[in-house]
Amino acid sequence: MKELSRILQLARNDFSYFFRTKWLMAVLLSLHLSDMLVVALVYGKLMSFNYFRFFVPAVVVMGLFSASLDTGRRIWLAIREGVIQYYLSLPISTFGVVAAYLLAGGLASIVYSTSLLLIALLVLPAQAVWSTFAILPFLFVLAMGLAGIAATLAALASTHGEYFFAYQQMVQVTLLALSTVYYPIETIRSYLPSFIVPAVAANPLSLAAEAIRQFAFEGAPIQPSFLLSMILMGVPFALLGASAYAMVLRNLRVKGKL
Amino acid sequence: MRSIIRLVWFDLKHELSPPVWIIFEWAGFALQLYIYGALISQLVTTMTDYLQFYAVGFVVMMTFEIGSHTGRHFVEHAHEGRLPYLLSLPIPRWKLFLAQALQGGTELALMITLPLVVTLAVIGNFTLISVAAAVGTLFWLGFGVAGLMLGLSFIAFKSSDVYSAIVSALSTLIIRFSTVLYPFIFLPPSYASAAFFSPLTYGADLVRLFLGFDPGILLDPRYAVAALAALAVSTLGLGVFLLQRLVEGVKSG
Repeated sequence: MKELSRILQLARNDFSYFFRTKWLMAVLLSLHLSDMLVVALVYGKLMSFNYFRFFVPAVVVMGLFSASLDTGRRIWLAIREGVIQYYLSLPISTFGVVAAYLLAGGLASIVYSTSLLLIALLVLPAQAVWSTFAILPFLFVLAMGLAGIAATLAALASTHGEYFFAYQQMVQVTLLALSTVYYPIETIRSYLPSFIVPAVAANPLSLAAEAIRQFAFEGAPIQPSFLLSMILMGVPFALLGASAYAMVLRNLRVKGKL
Repeated sequence: MRSIIRLVWFDLKHELSPPVWIIFEWAGFALQLYIYGALISQLVTTMTDYLQFYAVGFVVMMTFEIGSHTGRHFVEHAHEGRLPYLLSLPIPRWKLFLAQALQGGTELALMITLPLVVTLAVIGNFTLISVAAAVGTLFWLGFGVAGLMLGLSFIAFKSSDVYSAIVSALSTLIIRFSTVLYPFIFLPPSYASAAFFSPLTYGADLVRLFLGFDPGILLDPRYAVAALAALAVSTLGLGVFLLQRLVEGVKSG
């Protein structure tokens, strides 16, 4: 019970750090609000279908993804600045530190993306507002998975810290480009090789975007199998990130440095 | 001249050994162009070849990012305490400024060479003169943007955190409210008036004009030339002034 309370304390600390970073908030809000209110609107004029309706729900997913990836930056920063040494000296297990970071990452992502979702609901009429809130727990699991990817990158870059942002940028661009965030799956099917299409459909970002589009904005009935697939995609990435980060912390505990 | 080259190399060597950042920039460009750009151009029905339009826009965005990075780096150095060291060196301030400008120019050249070559290959229809004019415009824009970020450094005298927040948000808005991603004629009137204040609108449209795009969808090139010249001269002038008189005012730590 004490361990749980410490995990929650550490998670709260990391969670508040995300929202207290002024430049990050400025970047994320300006990026996502301008994507929603400028890019979606203007691209809509260039296309023959309602791109605004298609893209606005996806911006919520982009927000979820960006906030999740920031977990990696906070881990990287904690390693670089030596904060992690302090955390390891606290009466909390290595597993507890790892769990706190992933929990904070998932929670920060869901809070940030919910704020974007509320704005999306203001500019775009939703057919099933309550479904939106029903899928939030599943988006949280997915966000923990995405935070796991970020933690893995931070662990990979722990000995070459300066490469972290390069890894992060490449993963971000690749996952976003190969998803249905920006374009419908039919367009991807008609342009990219057929073996890539299943990977694009199973991409966590595609799953999140389709869930918000279909269940919240289109008003389609929620499919339990779809929600299950969100969990099945989120949990392995969260476990991968947890293992990678735990390995780094164990090395740090044993050797005293990386 | 040797001291200027030494200063340029002092900063540049970190990025070139090994040149990871340059390779990642190029890989990012390839992904954006051949996946995102190609797929979005399948959806765009009001233009004949949106991929060409997007390719030029992306090179302009890269120029903006690199120019912005140069200007911001200078201010960050001041906060990290590296600037006082550079100021203590036995070199005049104009040399320091020139070294910063040259470093930015070299970085820009290294980063955009390959993306620009690919863009020209995608467009296909160009002459040596048009390419030289486009490259000149990109460098002029890059210097202007670096100067703009340097000019905004007065905010950093109060707080570096606020400076980073303002500059980061401003960078995003400058890109979104411009013609980098979409032609001016498709912008709603309220957004079009904001686009007039973005230097990227003029840079992107001028480069497109030189590369043979339909002038009907671009801004009047005379305005573009005037706006880019005004931006570069005024912001670089302000940068020189700041470096000569005010740079010690930036708080360290």
